[in-house]
Amino acid sequence: MNAVIDILRDNWLLLLIGQYPNGPLGGIACTLILSVLGIVLAFPLSVLLALARMSPWRLLNAPATALVYGVRGVPLLMVILWVYFLVPLLIGHNVSGFVTMLCTLVIYEGAYLAEVVRAGIEALPKGQMEAARALGHSHLGAMRLVILPQALFNMLPSMLSQFVSTIKETTLGYVINVPELTFAANQINNQLLTKPFQVFFILAVIYYVVCWSLTRAATALERRIETKRAGPRGRLGAAQPAVVAQAIAAEP
Amino acid sequence: MKGFDLMAILLNPEFGRMLVHGAQMTLIIALGSWLLAMSLAIVLLVVRLAPSRIAGRVVAAYVSYHRNVPTLVQLMLWYFGISSLLPDSLQAWLGEHNGEAVFAIIGLGLCQAAYFSEDLRSGLRSIAPGQAEAARALGHSFIGAMRHVLMPQAVRNAVPALVNHSVSLFKNSSLAMAIGVAELTHAVKEIENQSFRAFETYLLATVMYLAFSLLIMAGGAWLGQRARIAGAR
Amino acid sequence: MITFSNVNKWYGDYRALTDISAEVKKGEVVVVCGPSGSGKSTLIRTVNRLEEIKSGQVVVDGHDMHAAMSSVQLNKLRSRIGFVFQSFNLFPHLSALDNVMLSPIYVTGVKRGDARERAMQLLERVGLAAKALSYPAQLSGGQQQRVAIARALAMEPPAMLFDEPTSALDPEMVGEVLAVMRSLAGDGMTMMCVTHEMNFAREVADRVWFMDAGCILESAEPAAFFAKPQHPRAQRFLSDLRSH
Repeated sequence: MNAVIDILRDNWLLLLIGQYPNGPLGGIACTLILSVLGIVLAFPLSVLLALARMSPWRLLNAPATALVYGVRGVPLLMVILWVYFLVPLLIGHNVSGFVTMLCTLVIYEGAYLAEVVRAGIEALPKGQMEAARALGHSHLGAMRLVILPQALFNMLPSMLSQFVSTIKETTLGYVINVPELTFAANQINNQLLTKPFQVFFILAVIYYVVCWSLTRAATALERRIETKRAGPRGRLGAAQPAVVAQAIAAEP
Repeated sequence: MKGFDLMAILLNPEFGRMLVHGAQMTLIIALGSWLLAMSLAIVLLVVRLAPSRIAGRVVAAYVSYHRNVPTLVQLMLWYFGISSLLPDSLQAWLGEHNGEAVFAIIGLGLCQAAYFSEDLRSGLRSIAPGQAEAARALGHSFIGAMRHVLMPQAVRNAVPALVNHSVSLFKNSSLAMAIGVAELTHAVKEIENQSFRAFETYLLATVMYLAFSLLIMAGGAWLGQRARIAGAR
Repeated sequence: MITFSNVNKWYGDYRALTDISAEVKKGEVVVVCGPSGSGKSTLIRTVNRLEEIKSGQVVVDGHDMHAAMSSVQLNKLRSRIGFVFQSFNLFPHLSALDNVMLSPIYVTGVKRGDARERAMQLLERVGLAAKALSYPAQLSGGQQQRVAIARALAMEPPAMLFDEPTSALDPEMVGEVLAVMRSLAGDGMTMMCVTHEMNFAREVADRVWFMDAGCILESAEPAAFFAKPQHPRAQRFLSDLRSH
């Protein structure tokens, strides 16, 4: 236990922000920035993919479906390798590990979120679209004013849960030398060499605290949303909060 | 960039060997950890159902740890961390006998057991509440009710989630690369380093992974069909 | 106002509507009744093309609803017909007032201030001005359905369609919705209602259409229909209703 405290005391700055300002921003800061950017950029992509998946036109439906199934059927490491290879080709010059990881996360999370969005839209009662069309709204108008506002609001807890998954996925940046938290921990281990268990124990605890708090927040958010939807006459008796259900269903 | 030449990879005996060996390793890790995860998940479920509150808390903590700590970090903790705590003789033995793969199977298996046990638990909870009562009213014991009435339904309900997580488990085998296991993704990187044909190599690996994922999903769908009770929801 | 000419709808061997020819005149209130599965809901949904037809014509206020047309034209025509659903279908993320204001603003292009004023008037008309800022989850079923009626009226349609408007309501709330429908009829609105509420039909309707198995078997004035139905199936339907 003393070893743990010593390691923390000597290396907390490295774990927090990496080698900044003597190097790029790293550590927890890098992990969190990467995760936030990843999910924020993935979100619009996921809405487009979801709408394309639900469209009756083959031209939109087929490539969207292919992308979603392709990305979900392949390990994240494989997607990283592809992006690492293709992005410099497409842009014309080399990009940093951080940018590569960001692009990977946007594509990967975009595909997963697309299914969450699609489920959210399809979970709405059919009568909503019918009522909107009966009043004279166009399909896209109905989507914009009636369907998407409801679906996206209902899905906030699921998206928070997906954000937690994104944080866990950033650890693979280690493989392409992105200076995030896992990379920082490995640096410490390579310096110390004698206390690997303590170092990785600290690493596990940090991730645990971050992810656990966010998951708790997501569950609390979901309870508040359900209460608001059900009105003052009480909750509509869900057997199990959907966020927990989705976290169970999510990728480890 | 050189022209697209798939045959340069496929026909090269060295590369072919590496691919096959990598795929074998992937399958061994995936299968090994799946068996470990399933058995442990059933144990966890039974423990959780026991009347003791401590048992419930222990299992909940186990699940919470494995769901909130990234899988890669778990593997590192096993391979770098826990192995260093083992007695030297055991460490030496493991070093000679593919210790990386052993730790990969243990790490992935224990992690996935948490997800499988939650799937089974959800499956159990989604059974209509009257079922357990009806079984007891007819005179079944707790074990009997579980065996004949509840577990069959729980497993049926849990099949989609279990299949999903099995695909995740299969894909997570690639993480073993980070602790030095020569599985498929590792082989792919090696081949790419030597041949400089990234596109063809990655394409081959992608096709192989996709084929297997789809195979598992199709198997799951078939299981789901077989398990379907005529007319049930 | 609403004319059906030889309307047919089928799926494979199943005939949902067979050779329907009938008319709802301007200012008329027509009640469509019959056993479940008779095609009454299908028929009323063909009027604003929520259901397609295989042959025949449905003409509303001079417009052929099932002619080939762009979706822009269809949206415009739909905005000119009011439709009230059995399950209300209010938009839960908007207050009652916003529900009523939404479509005049975004479909017809009414200015926000004018739309709000008209919406408040309509909510007052259905007796819910006090609930303007409430959300659907906070309203009872009867209140939600009255807001739905106001929402449809906000588009100022020349005709209103009601698809079993009270079937999903608890019995004590049926009266408040029927009262609104009664007052609409009294003001001369052209209405086509699918309903099981026979007292309403008796007191408010100008004509009753009895449907079974996709056909209109009898069309008569309510007094005549309820006193002496002609068609044997209509007789059986009414006697089944009375035996409750």
